[in-house]
Amino acid sequence: MIGYYFRLGFHQLRRAPVLTLLIVLTLAVGVAASMSTLTVLYVMSGDPIPQKSERLLTPQINNYPVDGGPQDGNLPTLLSWTDVRNLREDGRGQRRSGLYGISGILYPERDGLKNFFVDGVAVDADFFAMMDAPFREGRGWSAAEDSAEARVAVLGTQLARKLFGEGPAVGQEVRVDEQRYRVVGVLDRFSPVPKFYRLDGSSRAGAGEDELFIPLSTAIAIEKDVDGTVSCFQQTGPGFQGRLASECVWLRYWVELGSASERSDYEAYLQAYVAEQKTQGRLPRADARAIARDVREWLVEVGVVDDDVRLQFWLAFGFLFVCLVNTVGLLLAKFTARAADVGVRRALGATRGQIFLQYLSEAAALGLAGSVVGIAGVFGLLRLLASQSPDLEAYAQMDAVMLVTTVLVSVLAAILAGLLPTWRATRVLPAVQLKTQ
Amino acid sequence: MLQMDEVQKIYRTDLVQTYALRSLSLRVAEGEFVAVTGPSGSGKTTFLNIAGLLETFDGGRYQLDGEDVSRLSDTARSRLRNIKIGFIFQSFNLIPDLDVYDNVDVPLRYRGMDGGERRRRILAALERVGLASRLRHLPSQLSGGQQQRVAIARALAGSPRILFADEPTGNLDSLMAREVMGMLEEINAQGTTIVMVTHDAELARRVHRNIHIMDGQVSDLRQPLAA
Repeated sequence: MIGYYFRLGFHQLRRAPVLTLLIVLTLAVGVAASMSTLTVLYVMSGDPIPQKSERLLTPQINNYPVDGGPQDGNLPTLLSWTDVRNLREDGRGQRRSGLYGISGILYPERDGLKNFFVDGVAVDADFFAMMDAPFREGRGWSAAEDSAEARVAVLGTQLARKLFGEGPAVGQEVRVDEQRYRVVGVLDRFSPVPKFYRLDGSSRAGAGEDELFIPLSTAIAIEKDVDGTVSCFQQTGPGFQGRLASECVWLRYWVELGSASERSDYEAYLQAYVAEQKTQGRLPRADARAIARDVREWLVEVGVVDDDVRLQFWLAFGFLFVCLVNTVGLLLAKFTARAADVGVRRALGATRGQIFLQYLSEAAALGLAGSVVGIAGVFGLLRLLASQSPDLEAYAQMDAVMLVTTVLVSVLAAILAGLLPTWRATRVLPAVQLKTQ
Repeated sequence: MLQMDEVQKIYRTDLVQTYALRSLSLRVAEGEFVAVTGPSGSGKTTFLNIAGLLETFDGGRYQLDGEDVSRLSDTARSRLRNIKIGFIFQSFNLIPDLDVYDNVDVPLRYRGMDGGERRRRILAALERVGLASRLRHLPSQLSGGQQQRVAIARALAGSPRILFADEPTGNLDSLMAREVMGMLEEINAQGTTIVMVTHDAELARRVHRNIHIMDGQVSDLRQPLAA
């Protein structure tokens, strides 16, 4: 019977086309506004690496000086080189990698290609396996190459294509600034959203692929400058070496545990590490401590979903509510005009429940039509959002889940808006309607 | 088939109450073809609405096909309407955006019949009224007489025990009216009880029995009027 009601519902879309169009557009506008912000929120708060997000931890260590830095108990979101180096050397966890952002001018050897700027990241050999980064070609570098400070690089897909076309990139050389790197691997579309491994709370930083990966040890050896946040709360020595020796924070560190249950052991290790560093005269604050956060906790810590986004989300759903109220009015007009139809159907034996289902199905059909227009609207709004900033571009992506959710929200909204008009339709007195025919 | 005892219907507003039916009592036997006559405002249509379970009543007792329907719920009355009653209205009351086939299909859908059975009944009913070739025509593409024949097919498709007709020829020319009346007589001859409200004396003369309603009461139970 529901199939029959839906057939009637779709049939009715063609009747009173102006009113139908108004209802569909009203629903679509509300759905587009709300679902575009929900999509952004959904992507922002999504788990970028669900298969191991509980096993990937990033430590935070309070190395602020006694009289400098925040006094609110919050820990720095980045680490000093001293801590990253120590944690790497301690070798805790199944895999581990320090990292920091780099950039430079790339000098392509391909004819017709001008020099251009590349963004990248300096990481340890474990990084690729740790992040489940897929390789299109070649592999990551080895721990031995890490130790040897080898001039090797892994390229992102787009950069490899740009430099070498569809030909092999592995074995080729790329020159970035004054260094030449031998390409050992090319990633296959590695762009987790949000790009959690680099987030440091200073921006939403989520756009696109990293183009260039080089060994962290190499980057340190060649004194590759950091492209990212560097926070210092006391005087440092000169140059790159001065920064290495300082308590400035500018690196991230990730460790992969064998299982989530090993987390408490790792946290205990961090506390022991803090205590040990204190004995060596570092971490001067009395409340100096270290904590470890998994990926989801980290996204919350760095405020990926900020208050602005939440506010926009609620505003958009408020707008959807306004659209729904309008839809109620339009549906009332549409259904009231069909009182005679209800009268005839009731006379022929339709129960109030059957009329209710029929008209609610029609509302759902309108919702379905609204979702089609609404989805087009969502894509349009997401494109608009993406054009506002590269950060937003990474989040303004619609996947199958959000596509289905958009359809459901639209249909549900239409059903909700249809409840009152439908109930009114069931109250039609058949005798009165048949007489007024 | 139909028995009303002391049935009352009162329409109330804040200031007035109007007696549409005052202690109306009547019986219609199975297989009868009865004409209900009376002046405008006498309560004929109210009687028909109550008899057809389209309206409730305020007092008295009503038995339809042996079942007391006085205190039935709205849903139960709908079911009874669907199964036992067929309606034919003066203004046909076809659903304008459904074609002939789908219009006849409406009451069968509410009965929950399977597709094959519905199709068989629809085609048989339309065959019976001579419209089997117009299945996909919309009501607006048919003449008044054809529309009324569709309405008759719709009423017949559900094999009702009783047919209520409210001025079934009121909107038709005399030729069409005779044709429709002939059709009703044929239906009655095959065993369906028919109660017809009419102003048309000629039609009233053609039925088994007349019931005259005046001021909400049966004023006279007579044999068909002499020609």
